[in-house]
Amino acid sequence: MHTFDPLTKHHPAVIGDEQKFINLINDHQGLIHKICFMYEQDADARNDLFQEIVLQLWKSFPTFRGDAKITTWMYRIALNTAISGYRKQKRHIKTENLQDLHFNISENYSGDEKEEDFQRLRAAIMHLSEIERAMIMMALEEVPYEEIAETIGITQNNVRVRMNRIREKLRKMMSHEPWN
Amino acid sequence: MELDELKNIWQKNPSGFVPKGEDELARMLKGSSRSIVDKLKRSVWFELLFTVVSGIVLLLYAFSLPNGALKWTSVSILILFVAYPVYYIKKLVLLHRFNPGDDHLKANLEKLIDNLSSYLNFYIRSYTLLYPVYFVLALIFLAMERGSEQFFDSLSNPKTVAYLIVLAGIFYAASKLFTTWYLKKLYGNHLEKLKTVLSELVSFDKPEELHLS
Repeated sequence: MHTFDPLTKHHPAVIGDEQKFINLINDHQGLIHKICFMYEQDADARNDLFQEIVLQLWKSFPTFRGDAKITTWMYRIALNTAISGYRKQKRHIKTENLQDLHFNISENYSGDEKEEDFQRLRAAIMHLSEIERAMIMMALEEVPYEEIAETIGITQNNVRVRMNRIREKLRKMMSHEPWN
Repeated sequence: MELDELKNIWQKNPSGFVPKGEDELARMLKGSSRSIVDKLKRSVWFELLFTVVSGIVLLLYAFSLPNGALKWTSVSILILFVAYPVYYIKKLVLLHRFNPGDDHLKANLEKLIDNLSSYLNFYIRSYTLLYPVYFVLALIFLAMERGSEQFFDSLSNPKTVAYLIVLAGIFYAASKLFTTWYLKKLYGNHLEKLKTVLSELVSFDKPEELHLS
C-alpha cells in the first residue's frame, strides 16, 4: 500500500485520499501562504488565491507521480495558479507606488526594526515582475537554483544571471528610504 | 546587498500567518474553481448545451413550417450547427487533459496561450465568417420565396442594392463590434497578460547584449 513518507518528502501515486491530502497541505501551508502574500495585497484576494491553489493541488494530487520533491510539485502548481491560471476578481484596490508603500510603512512603524526591514523588502519585491517575484521568493526560501530552473522552465545559468539582476534591483529600491 | 542578507530579512518574516484548520481546508476542496481552465470548461459546456438546445428547438420549428424560404433557412442553419458540437467536444477533451502540475511555468503558459488563442480564433471565425454566410443564405432563400425572376428584377433597382449593402454593412459592423467586445471581456485581457509574462520568459534566452540595450 502507498503511504506518504514525511522523511523523504516524496509522495507516491495515491488516488484521491482526502485526509492524506489535507495533512499534506497542513504540513506545507506556509509555502502557499507566502505565494499568496507575494501575489495579492488584499486579505480577501489572498484567501481566494489560497483556496484556488489548494483546489488545483487537489485536482492534480491523483496524478502526482512522486518523481519530484513534494515542494517542487507544490511550487509549480501554486505559481502556475498565481501567475497564469487564475483570473483575479475585480476589486477596487488602489495600486500603491513604492513611495506610498514606504510612507505606509513609516506611518505604521511600530519601532520593530525587523518588521521595518521586512516590509521594505516586500515593498521592493512587489515592484518586480511576476516571474522575478517567483524566482526571488524561491531563492529566499532556500530553494536550490536547479529546482527554480525546473519550476520556471529556464536554464540554471539563466536563473543565476536573473538572480543577480533581481538582487541589484532590490538593492537599489531598498536603499531609497524616503522617511528618513 | 547580498542574497544572504535578503534571506536573513525574509526569514524573520513577521507577517501574521494564521494557519488554516483542517475543517477549513476540507471546505476549500468542495469550493468551485476560478481558474482560467475551469472557466473555459464552463464556457464551452454552456455553449455546447446552448447549441444543442437551440438546434433541437430550431429543428422542431423547421418541421412545423410549410415548405418555403424560412424552412430552408432554418434547415441550413441546423446543418451549420452540427459543426459546433464537434469543436466543443474536442475542446473539452483537451481542457480535461490540462494539468497545471504536469509542466513548468513556461510550458504551462504556452499551453494556456495556445488553448485560449484557438478558442478565441474559433469565435472570430464563427462570427466574422458565419454571419455573412447566414446573411447570404437569407438572401438566397428570399430569392427562392419570391421567385428568382422577381428577385433579380428588384436587384436591378439601385435603391434595393444600396439598401442591401447598407444592411450588410450594419450587420457585419455590429457583429464585429460585439465579437471584439465580448472576446476582450471574456478572455482577451487575460490572454494579453499571459503573452506578456511568456515574452519575459522567452527574453531570458536571448543573448546578454540584447537585454542591456
